Amino acid sequence: MTTQVIQDQLVLSIWEQAQYTADLCIKCNICTSHCPVHRVTDLFPGPKFVGPQAQRFRSPREISVDNSLDYCSGCGVCTMVCPHGVKVMEMNAKARARLYQRKPIPLRNRLLGRSELLGMLGSPFAPLANALFTNGMIRWLTEQVLGIHRYAPMPLFSWETFRGWYKGVHCESGQRLQSNKKVVYFHGCSTNYYEPWVGKAAVAVLEHNGFEVIVPKQVCCGLPMLSNAEFGAARKNAYQNIRSLVRYAREGYKIVGTSTSCTLSLKSDYRHILDIDTTEARLVAQQTYDICEFLLELAEAGELKTDFQPLDITLPYHSPCQLKAHNMGLPAIDLLEMIPGVKVNHIQADCCGIAGTYGYKKEKYQIAMEVGKPLFDQIKASRSLVAVCDSETCRWQIAHATGARMFHPVELLAQAYGLIDLNI
Amino acid sequence: MKQDDLKPYHTIIIGTGLAGLTTACLLAGANKKVLLVAQGAGALLLASGAIDVLGYHPADSREPVHNPAQKLPDFLAERPEHPFCLVGPEQIRAGLEAFLSLVKGRLDYQGSLERNWLLPGPAGVGHPTCLAPVSLANGDLNTRGRMLVIGFDELRDFYPALISQNLNEQKLGVQVAALTIDAPWPIAGKMNVTPIELARAFEQPEFRQQVVKAVKSASRGYGRVGFPAVLGLERHAEVMADLQRGLGKVVFEVSTLPPSVPGRRLFDALQSVFLAAGGRLLIGSKVVDGVIENGRVQQIRLETASRLKPVVAENYVLATGGIFGGGIQTDGEGKVWEPIFDLPVIAEADRHQWFEPKFLSAGDQPIANYGVKVNRQLNPVDESGMPLAKNLFVTGATLAGSNWIVGRTGDGVALATAATVVATIVDRISRAA
Repeated sequence: MTTQVIQDQLVLSIWEQAQYTADLCIKCNICTSHCPVHRVTDLFPGPKFVGPQAQRFRSPREISVDNSLDYCSGCGVCTMVCPHGVKVMEMNAKARARLYQRKPIPLRNRLLGRSELLGMLGSPFAPLANALFTNGMIRWLTEQVLGIHRYAPMPLFSWETFRGWYKGVHCESGQRLQSNKKVVYFHGCSTNYYEPWVGKAAVAVLEHNGFEVIVPKQVCCGLPMLSNAEFGAARKNAYQNIRSLVRYAREGYKIVGTSTSCTLSLKSDYRHILDIDTTEARLVAQQTYDICEFLLELAEAGELKTDFQPLDITLPYHSPCQLKAHNMGLPAIDLLEMIPGVKVNHIQADCCGIAGTYGYKKEKYQIAMEVGKPLFDQIKASRSLVAVCDSETCRWQIAHATGARMFHPVELLAQAYGLIDLNI
Repeated sequence: MKQDDLKPYHTIIIGTGLAGLTTACLLAGANKKVLLVAQGAGALLLASGAIDVLGYHPADSREPVHNPAQKLPDFLAERPEHPFCLVGPEQIRAGLEAFLSLVKGRLDYQGSLERNWLLPGPAGVGHPTCLAPVSLANGDLNTRGRMLVIGFDELRDFYPALISQNLNEQKLGVQVAALTIDAPWPIAGKMNVTPIELARAFEQPEFRQQVVKAVKSASRGYGRVGFPAVLGLERHAEVMADLQRGLGKVVFEVSTLPPSVPGRRLFDALQSVFLAAGGRLLIGSKVVDGVIENGRVQQIRLETASRLKPVVAENYVLATGGIFGGGIQTDGEGKVWEPIFDLPVIAEADRHQWFEPKFLSAGDQPIANYGVKVNRQLNPVDESGMPLAKNLFVTGATLAGSNWIVGRTGDGVALATAATVVATIVDRISRAA
């Protein structure tokens, strides 16, 4: 039987295809040599060892994984640099989920995986919750009891949620733009509960460009649960989001997001890691855009408004791992440099270390800080008081490590359009 | 608004090996808007970091070439299908010069087309090569005398005893001794140490001091001291200087098995030259196909996280490598093809003709010559020799006849074809203007 005939007879799921890429590995260790975690700690032996190498010893029934897998941060640099097409990160994410099939998932990880629940609980009591979470004693206690590192960059809850603002203030005040050009906004948990100003800036920029912004029903994208090995719970959220978003996708509307990890989940992780390869999932993936990607495509088509006020500033920019995994380039750089006077200083560093919830964990905080050190050093050396990054947890980590004021690129666009004042 | 930012790309280069990176750096340096896209980090991390131009001739000769410039006419006459013949010897020189100017100030490469280095390899075989970073060139076997090669117990696949015995048996005029030591903390006792990890350890002054301490007395009586090529990454120059001062000897590096530290230094250096010149780099995105219409490439499509993204440029450079790099694909049926544009490939359709009966034959393995057929401008051509796309250029190991095993011409082909493409593109534009 020829290879082609065999291939034709096998219908491989998207995950099975990823799994079999282990056979493409030539053990060159290019992934290991680029792995930001392996660079700073021996606790993680590197993506090749726990990925394609160990994969050979894993059968569907037999769980063969070792605890070092837990130290993979899931940043995905391995998959990105592999010249042979091995899906290393995807393999490791799956294997980590298997690891926790044979041992209980710690309460700490379950909590960190539930950013939405935390937001729902914390936001209505924001002043109190923030006072608690910034209290040294409480943080010390949280570290002792739960294992969340006392210095990890916890965001502050926002009293006003993004959805609350959108429904209450924006829609009811009659300011909301209605137009034939429509776009769907996936805000994610961080914008809703912690940084509603990012969502407001996104809405302002989109409306300034003549788009009616639809904010549909949505739940946490599921990535925090996925990266804490709760695939079941992550899948539940994924299906809910797909169900809510697919009707807009069918209308041909684009779904834009300001969180690179949420949009990556919609675009790729639902299919490649959670194994949800339905027609609906593919349609939602096809229609999902990072907001800078969306705006740059508008600009390339000559449809983006360019009434920018000059902004004389050099902006250190960190491209987050979750953005690089979109494999589309770095649209924020081109977009920001359209603003007269703006120069982007693209910092050459792998990863800030936080990797979603990784750097919050007591045993991983120091690793995360070491991983991000080259990035922090360069931002400090730039002497800039502000810096830009598309991903929220990276912004919190960088702000924590450098003291820089961190912005999402869309905030700077809103500022240049004269829609908000960032006071920079 | 600055119109420049949204101009389409002047050139898109596919592949981050030596050919792709060099082409990208040269064009970005000429103020062209360039996108460099690759499925992963290119083959430099698997290569020695030295630049081979012509190492052996004739193909089955065991005698390394001493003077590539002198041997080249012979080589060109015997292998008319080799890419060197298409671009001509002056482009080989242009490629080497361009390369040296790119790395200048970042990495200290030395050598010339008139004289090959003969560098000790990890199996104790001499590696004839044209340009080498000074750390490798210091191990040149053409220079006689006594040398000591150090290994670390923690670094697998690097055996000083093997290296010294093989080199001594070849009676090259060097006397080589071997010493394996335990690496100091924090490497001590580790099992799976890669060269990159050791290189990072060498960037710590305390680590180097401990190494010097462990080696110093044993190195007495030897003119040169060799280490596996792990002497630092970003701080390589500092590591070298420090070790030479500490030991009071000339220090050299011996290539290791991958991942290659000198290859990584070169990859990082060229990448930063490219980015500093304003180039756009996209690693991790596979180019799935390209459209050729009316004698021109109209667009290529990238595989992004959820959809194919068309990208447009005036020119396109294919630097995707050969069979090993994925630029040329094969299957069990005997099909050989170029996966992005499906360009005509010179290859045997009968799979039994792909290989010599002897696996380690000193002559050609036919399959190593398979690649895309091009004209002198390096445009792909059809069977009759007519160019298929005048804005598409093929470089390096993707080219038919660019056998990188026989003759060891791979890096020379990469640089010479990169220089040719840049000259053609830039020249065409200046003529049009």
